Amino acid sequence: MEAPPVTAMPVTGGSIHMMEYLLQGSVLDQALESLLHRLRGLCDNMEPESFVDHEMVFLLKGQQGSPFILRARHSLDRPAVPWHLRYLGQPEVGDKSRHALVRNCVDVSASHSLHDFLLEMGFRMDHEFVAKGHIFRKGALKVVVFKLFRILLPGNTENTEPLSLSYLVELSVLAPAGQDTVSDDMRNFAEQLKPLVHLDKIDPKRLM
Amino acid sequence: MCLTLCVYVCVREIVIVFRARSVSQVPVAEGKSVQQTVEMLNRKLEQLGAVKQGNFCVDCETYHAGAIGNPGQPPKFLYVMHNSEAPLSCFALFENGPCLVADPNFDVLMIKLKSYFQNAKSNKVESRGARYQYCDFLVKVGTATMASSARGITVEVEYCPCVTANDCWNLLMEFMQSFLPSHVPGVPSVFGVKTDGVYSPSDTMAQYLELFSKLRKQQAATGSGMR
Repeated sequence: MEAPPVTAMPVTGGSIHMMEYLLQGSVLDQALESLLHRLRGLCDNMEPESFVDHEMVFLLKGQQGSPFILRARHSLDRPAVPWHLRYLGQPEVGDKSRHALVRNCVDVSASHSLHDFLLEMGFRMDHEFVAKGHIFRKGALKVVVFKLFRILLPGNTENTEPLSLSYLVELSVLAPAGQDTVSDDMRNFAEQLKPLVHLDKIDPKRLM
Repeated sequence: MCLTLCVYVCVREIVIVFRARSVSQVPVAEGKSVQQTVEMLNRKLEQLGAVKQGNFCVDCETYHAGAIGNPGQPPKFLYVMHNSEAPLSCFALFENGPCLVADPNFDVLMIKLKSYFQNAKSNKVESRGARYQYCDFLVKVGTATMASSARGITVEVEYCPCVTANDCWNLLMEFMQSFLPSHVPGVPSVFGVKTDGVYSPSDTMAQYLELFSKLRKQQAATGSGMR
């Protein structure tokens, strides 16, 4: 029973400058199989990994104008896996020629007491949904093809209905700030998915 | 002295375990300083046959929920703690409230939340010291400091083979009596709250938090020669 292999100081802190680079698109239900087939060929894993996740979006209203948003996600098909908490910052306004949406991202794995803990912190749940789909990887690139389901009764994840007749496709990379070649790699990958799906930089503000 | 009873379910090879532990505070010996009392305890453990295995550190930062909450309600304190025994974890607790076990990125998230939760840096409490192994027991004797002044002594005793807290309390007490004759503490309050009786690392942090809160409130440790 030796001491854990660390110095006397516990490990504190993480990486504050991780950025998420994102491209989004969608395909109708009928086109899903062809897209999955193409992704199987292009990506690393032989068989796509499927998932069923329940995500809750929490808001913390303070004295400032806009509330602080946190996303808490947990797996419905693998209940023992830790919860995942995510903070996403405002999209970086900058180089218009940059091919992907870039925003600060903080990811935290947490225990199953996350929901109660967030409520105790003062957060209130704004909305929730279920996401079912597949995840593919190619090096640092992650492609997620999923369908959103609306939860009909709050807290009841069994009773859901699809939000639309299509699947959302997201291509993302997590990288330290300043690595602009990432968005070029993403654009090149996205080209290979055309014309099955067109992945674009979607500005969330334009949807408000 | 807080006894953290940790129980681990598995074979020795498995490192991540829940062990029954007791964490408690030891008063400073008459006429001695904190440092001298700690050295005395360490020597007693070595005489018993315990072997020193590295050092440990448990720290606790206080965040004050300033800008949120309903007016008229008392302000909330969020405590973020770290334990060198679980180096890739970060513990966040509310006193008598829920406890969250997260990865070290939680500290980064608290930085993002700084306009809602202010870090009271002067309230940070740390306990550091040596880590001893004696057969199935792990003993950690630490000096608790706040703002660079020693506030007291913490002793954590862990009984590794048992995960059910209430089953090994008597054994822990007997072991503690062998090196802490006059200061054996009562049953930690976390034991009473357990429904299934299984101990977990967050129970250890809750015990440390209770201890640190007490140390914050009391004056700097008294005793001649105390710095």
